[in-house]
Amino acid sequence: MRDERASFDVLDRALRLAGADEADAVFASTDHNISRFANSSVHQNMSELSAWLKLRVVVNGAVGTAATTSFDDDELARTAELAREAAKHSGALPGFRGLYRDGEPLPNVVTFDAGAAAIAPAGKARDLRTMFDRGREHGVLFAGSYATGASSIACANTHGVRRYATLTACDATVIALRGDASGYATAIDRGPLDVLALGDEATLKATLCEGRNETLPPGAYDVILEPPCTAEVLEWMNMITFSGQSFEDGSSFFVDNVGKQLLGANFTVADDAVDPNFLPFPFDLEGMPKRRVALIENGVVRTPVVDKVYADRLGLPPTANGWSLGGGEHGTVFHGSVAGGEATREELIRSTKLGIWVTRFNYVNGLLEPKTALMTGTTRDGTFLVRDGEVVARLPNLRWTQSMVEAFSAIDGLTRDRRRVGAWYNAFGGTIAPVLKVGGWRFSS
Amino acid sequence: MRAFFDTLLASLRAPNLRYADIRRTVTSEQHVRVRNGEVDTLASTVDRAAGVRVLVGNGWGFAATSDVSEESIRAAARRALEVAAASHIATTQTVVLSDVDAYTAAWASKFDVDPWSIPLDRKIDHLLAATEPMRSDPRIHQVSGDLSAYRQEKTFASTAGSFIAQTTTEVGAGIEALAIDDGEFQRRTYPNPFGGDYQAGGWEIIEALDLPGNAPRVRDEALALLAAPKAPAGRFDLVVGSSQLALQVHESCGHPTELDRAMGLEISLAGGSFLQPAMLGNFRYGSELVNIVADATVPGAIGSFAFDDDGVPAQRFHLIENGMFVGYLTGRDTAPFIGRSSNGTVRAESASRIPIIRMTNINLDPGATPLEELIATTKRGIFVDTNKSWSIDDLRLNFQFGCEVAYEIENGRLGRMLKNPLYTGTTPEFWRSCDAVGDAASWRIWGLPNCGKGDPMQTMRVAHGAPVARFRNVEMS
Repeated sequence: MRDERASFDVLDRALRLAGADEADAVFASTDHNISRFANSSVHQNMSELSAWLKLRVVVNGAVGTAATTSFDDDELARTAELAREAAKHSGALPGFRGLYRDGEPLPNVVTFDAGAAAIAPAGKARDLRTMFDRGREHGVLFAGSYATGASSIACANTHGVRRYATLTACDATVIALRGDASGYATAIDRGPLDVLALGDEATLKATLCEGRNETLPPGAYDVILEPPCTAEVLEWMNMITFSGQSFEDGSSFFVDNVGKQLLGANFTVADDAVDPNFLPFPFDLEGMPKRRVALIENGVVRTPVVDKVYADRLGLPPTANGWSLGGGEHGTVFHGSVAGGEATREELIRSTKLGIWVTRFNYVNGLLEPKTALMTGTTRDGTFLVRDGEVVARLPNLRWTQSMVEAFSAIDGLTRDRRRVGAWYNAFGGTIAPVLKVGGWRFSS
Repeated sequence: MRAFFDTLLASLRAPNLRYADIRRTVTSEQHVRVRNGEVDTLASTVDRAAGVRVLVGNGWGFAATSDVSEESIRAAARRALEVAAASHIATTQTVVLSDVDAYTAAWASKFDVDPWSIPLDRKIDHLLAATEPMRSDPRIHQVSGDLSAYRQEKTFASTAGSFIAQTTTEVGAGIEALAIDDGEFQRRTYPNPFGGDYQAGGWEIIEALDLPGNAPRVRDEALALLAAPKAPAGRFDLVVGSSQLALQVHESCGHPTELDRAMGLEISLAGGSFLQPAMLGNFRYGSELVNIVADATVPGAIGSFAFDDDGVPAQRFHLIENGMFVGYLTGRDTAPFIGRSSNGTVRAESASRIPIIRMTNINLDPGATPLEELIATTKRGIFVDTNKSWSIDDLRLNFQFGCEVAYEIENGRLGRMLKNPLYTGTTPEFWRSCDAVGDAASWRIWGLPNCGKGDPMQTMRVAHGAPVARFRNVEMS
C-alpha cells in the first residue's frame, strides 16, 4: 500500500510521459494475505505485495491503453509509447467527448479499517486453529479461505482530476463437512470478521436434519434463496444485462425496456457504493464520484451502467462504473445492492407449503438465452426440503434452469436483513442481498 | 540470475526448512479487438512478479512481489518464512514430497513469426478483413474479432538443485457474429467462442486459421439460426463435434482427475471430485473406446511446457485407459497421498501465485471411425458443436452444456439446422454411452486460455485434443 504522495508521484510521471491529447491513469498497490484451509488444516498461505499502473491515452479521439508493474521513468515511457502506438492505430471513438473533467467532490465514505489492516498471518492462523478445534468437537472438518488486504487506489487525468483512497477488505468462506453433508457461510467486510461465527454457521448447516434425507422429482418449486445465490446470479446479470456492452450489442433484456415494468414490484437492485452498511468506495477508476444508481427499481428497468466512453456513445447519463479504463464490459456493477423487504427468514420458511431452501449455487452459467436471462446451475453445501412451513430433510444437490426475468417477477417475500457477499473478481465491493422467496423455480434433476 | 537465486536459497534460515524455491516471471500480453468496424480494444500489459515458496516442517509459506528487484525478492523470502511459521499454528496434516531430480535447463516453445514483430496495423487490418464481410445483413447486429499474443518468461530455482528457464509464446484469434431479429438472439463464432482458438506459436497460426475465409459461413449460420427450429427435448443419440467435446473433456475428465480436488483441497471454491483414490484402477469411467491422456509434451499446444513449477519434467500418461480410471494429475506434495510420484502438473499463473495442480493438454485419443461413417451409422440423432454455455456440479458429475448449433441426423444423414441445443447427463453414464470415437482426421487440439481455479483465482492456459464422438441415448432439454 502506498501513501498519497507516492501514488501521485507515479501517476504524475506517467501522465507527463503520456504525450497525448488527453490521458488518465490508475495506480493501485495492495498488501494481501490469504490463508486457505482444508481438512481442518492450513495448506496454502500466502502474502503478496503488488502494484500496477494502467495508462490510457487519447490521440485524435482514439484510445489506447497499456499497463505495467514497474514504475521507473524508462518503463513508464515505454508504457506510454505502447499506449500511444495503440491509439495511433485505433479509430476515433464515436461520440466520445473526452475524459472526465468535472472533478465534483467525492462522497464521504469510510473505506479503511486500521484493525483489519493490522491483522497478521499468525493472528489469522490462531483464529482458524480455534475454529478447527471447535469443529472437531462436533465431528466437523472445515475447508475454506480467509483473506485480508489493504490497498491504495489512486487515479488522475490530464484535466486535473486526482483521486486517492485506501481500503481494507476481510473476506472469508467456510465450508463445514460431516460425512456426505456440508454447510457454508461467507462474509466480507471493511473491518475484521468473526471467523468463529462463520464456522458455527457452517456447522449448523452441515448438521441440520442429519440422517433425514429425501429426494424430489424434477419440477417447479418455491425456493428460499440465501444471499450467495442471488450474488452469483447478479454476477452473470452484470455481464449479460447491466453492462454498457450488453446494452449496446442488443443482448441485454434492458434493450427497448427502459422505463417499463418488466419485473416484480418488490424487486429493486442498484449499484450502491455509498451505502455505509455495504462496502463503500468513493469513486470509479475514471475519477467520477460514486452515487447510488438504480438499475431496476420496483420492477421497472432504469438504466444499464456505463463507463465514460459508453455514456457518450449511448447518450446516457454517466453512472461512474468505469473500472477498466477502456475495453471490458464498458460498465460494470461492483456494488450490487438488492433491496430488502419486511420478512424474516423464518417467516419465509413458515409460509412455504412445499419448497426448497438453498444455501448457495454452484457453477451458474448465464449464457443460455440472455434475452430472458435464462441460466442454469446446481445447488451445494446445504439444500433443504421445506414442507408445511418446516425444514424437514436434506436434499441432494439439484440442477436448475431458470429465467431470471421470470424469477424476479415471482418474488413472494424478502427479508429485512441483508448480507454482504464477496466475489473473486471484485476488489472494490461485492453484493448485498436479502434472503428471497421465489415461486416456481424450475429444477430439472 | 542463477547466482542471486542460489545465494538467496542458501541464505534461508529456519529450523526444519525442508524445501524452498524461487520463481520470477515476466508476462507480456497484447490484445486487439475490433467491433463493428472500429478498434474496440488495443491494450498491452507487462506483468513482472517474483515469488518465494518455503516448506518449514509441515507449514507452507509463500510470498510474492511485483517489485522484482533483488532487495524486494529478499524481503519476500523473509515474509515467506514468517507465513510458514503462521501456517504451522494451524496445520495438522503431514506434508510428504515425492522425489525430484536436479535439472539445469532452458526451453522455449517454437514459433515461425514472432507475433510482436507484426505491426499493429496489420493485425487490425486482418481482423477488419475478417469481420467486415459479416456485416452485410441488417440482422447482424454486431460483429467482432479478437487477436491476442502472450509470452511468459519464467525462471525457477529450487533447493533440490534445479535452475530452469522457460519461455512460452502463444497466440489466439477468432471472430463472432451476433444476429438479432424479432426478439431472437443468436451467436455464431469461429473457430471457438471467447476469443477464438489459442496455440503456442506465432503469426503463422493466425494466418492458418483463415478468419476471413470463414467469415461468410459464420454470418450465414448466425442468420440461419434465427429461423431454425429449437433443438428438441428428449433422449437422442448425440454426435458431439471436436470443439464441444474438448470442453466436455475439460469439465468432466480434466477437473475431476485433479488430485487436489479429490483430496478436498479445492473444495471451498472449485469443489471436489467424484473420482476418489479408492476408485483408481477399478472404476469404469467410460466405454472401452474412451482413452484420455494428459500430455504436456504436445508441440504447439498451450498446455505444453518442459518442467512444471515443482521442477518436475513434463510427461504423458493415461487418466482413462480403455474406459477405466487409471490416473490423476498430481504434484510433489499430493502424489504421495496415492503412493505415487509427481507426474508434473503443478503450475501457477505467474510467480505471484502458489503453484497448484493444473490441467496440461488433456486429450481424448482418436478412435477408428471416420466422421462420415459415424454420421451414416446414426439412425436418429443430433449433431452438436461449439460451446455456448457450460455448467457442472461441484463433484463434476451432473452437467449441462449448451451449444451454438445443432443438426438433425435422420437415417444416417445430416438434416435441418437446430438452435439452442442443451444436453445434460452425469459424467460416467455419459462416457459409458460412447459407442464411436472419430478417427485422427476429426481430431484437433483446442487451446483454452481461461481455466479458473485457486484462491486467489488463477487463470491457466490449457488445451484439449478431441475427435468427434457419438454417445447413445443422451438427454436433451
